Amino acid sequence: MKLLPYGPRAVLAEFETLAEVMSAAETWSAAALPGVVDVVPAARTVLVVHDGSFDASRLVAPSSRVVHLSDDEPVVLDVVYDGADLDDVAQVCGLRACDVIELHSGAQYTVAFCGFMPGFSYLVGLPPALQLPRRSTPRTRVRSGSVAIAAEFAGVYPRDSPGGWHLLGRTDAILWHDSRTPPALLPPGTRVRFRPT
Amino acid sequence: MISVESWGIAGSVVDHGRVGLAWLGQSRGGAADVMSLSLANRLVGNAEGSAGIETSGGLVLRLDQPTMMAIAGAMADVSVSDGPAVGWGNPVALPAGAQLRVGRLRDGARVYVAVRGGISRVADQLIVGTDPATSAATQAAPRAPLSTRLRVWPGPRLDWFQPAAWAALTASTFEVTSTSRVGVRLSGIPLLRRHDHQLPSEGLVEGAIQVPPDGQPIIMLADQPTTGGYPVIAVIDPADLHHAAQAALGTVLRFSGSCTLRRHNHIA
Repeated sequence: MKLLPYGPRAVLAEFETLAEVMSAAETWSAAALPGVVDVVPAARTVLVVHDGSFDASRLVAPSSRVVHLSDDEPVVLDVVYDGADLDDVAQVCGLRACDVIELHSGAQYTVAFCGFMPGFSYLVGLPPALQLPRRSTPRTRVRSGSVAIAAEFAGVYPRDSPGGWHLLGRTDAILWHDSRTPPALLPPGTRVRFRPT
Repeated sequence: MISVESWGIAGSVVDHGRVGLAWLGQSRGGAADVMSLSLANRLVGNAEGSAGIETSGGLVLRLDQPTMMAIAGAMADVSVSDGPAVGWGNPVALPAGAQLRVGRLRDGARVYVAVRGGISRVADQLIVGTDPATSAATQAAPRAPLSTRLRVWPGPRLDWFQPAAWAALTASTFEVTSTSRVGVRLSGIPLLRRHDHQLPSEGLVEGAIQVPPDGQPIIMLADQPTTGGYPVIAVIDPADLHHAAQAALGTVLRFSGSCTLRRHNHIA
């Protein structure tokens, strides 16, 4: 772990792997460190935002690099697999559409981090056979609830937005609700499964 | 109740926003210039974080009830029909039927209008909250001058830039080419990188100065994305962030900071 300066109220911890990021973010969030107001994991970093009173040298990387999987039951999202890119994904991956559905819904996912927009969660656990680059041309509008994949990640669009991921299907789940605590359905660390309907 | 006859430029109802949700992808939101909203609220006797209006000009309000208001932030042409004048930093009780117009901005980028009791928005109506049972300010607030010199701290990716970049940032001037609630775009000497590596997206803070490949910096404000893929060369000191939020198009900014502040680098 390397600690990088980020002004008087934040510090950025950099790691070699996403697994270390997830482990550190989970450990530091659970520790409720005094003065810390936000622990923001990303692909290779954890941003720790504080009120100015926190001493960054107190940040210690967890000794175990194995991500502790939450004991909570996974959040199950019901999916209608009728996405616009289902057939293309199958073709590029050398699979049938039904294989794509089976692989995607058979995997266990964990939320690594959120970003892009409120409630957009990056899920790891996507089978390698389904990992492919983002679309070369992003769509100007992807519908809210679209279930999608790109690179090593799976995700669900919380609201209508532009988007470059491959669309496999859609869910009715509400990914973001202002009056819910926390407002995101899938915060970092959450286990997730997709169920075909 | 207050009717919004025109929201004008970038008009919206704002409070202090919500801190602590960046881990879920939600930036603070709320007033871009928190200090000015707080001041306007104090003037009318509200709690500092009460909801008020942020506007960059062209706001027109019609009061359907007697209302105390105060204005802070940018200096603007403010006029009132059927009521007394409202000066900067001066709480004024306006009668029902008065119309308040915030016209062109003269100095600064964002005006804040506070309403005694606070407001909640329903479409183009603003519902005035309960009277706070406090006393409003009896004197106009003095106006602190806007500063164009912002203190900066080294950012996490300073070492992605050529050695001369820090000196270029802190010794030259940068002109504001656009400002929105997301960020302030600047134009000046390009801040050049040492390499063209791709940065995986990482967390951003308010006041972070991101530098896209063209070398022209962007200061992040209240509606920033919570993560970004451009290296952050420096961070505005939180005490100067409101000056960044008030930097209007064409403003020439300077950054001051010392590179010796890099002692925190490579702690572990």
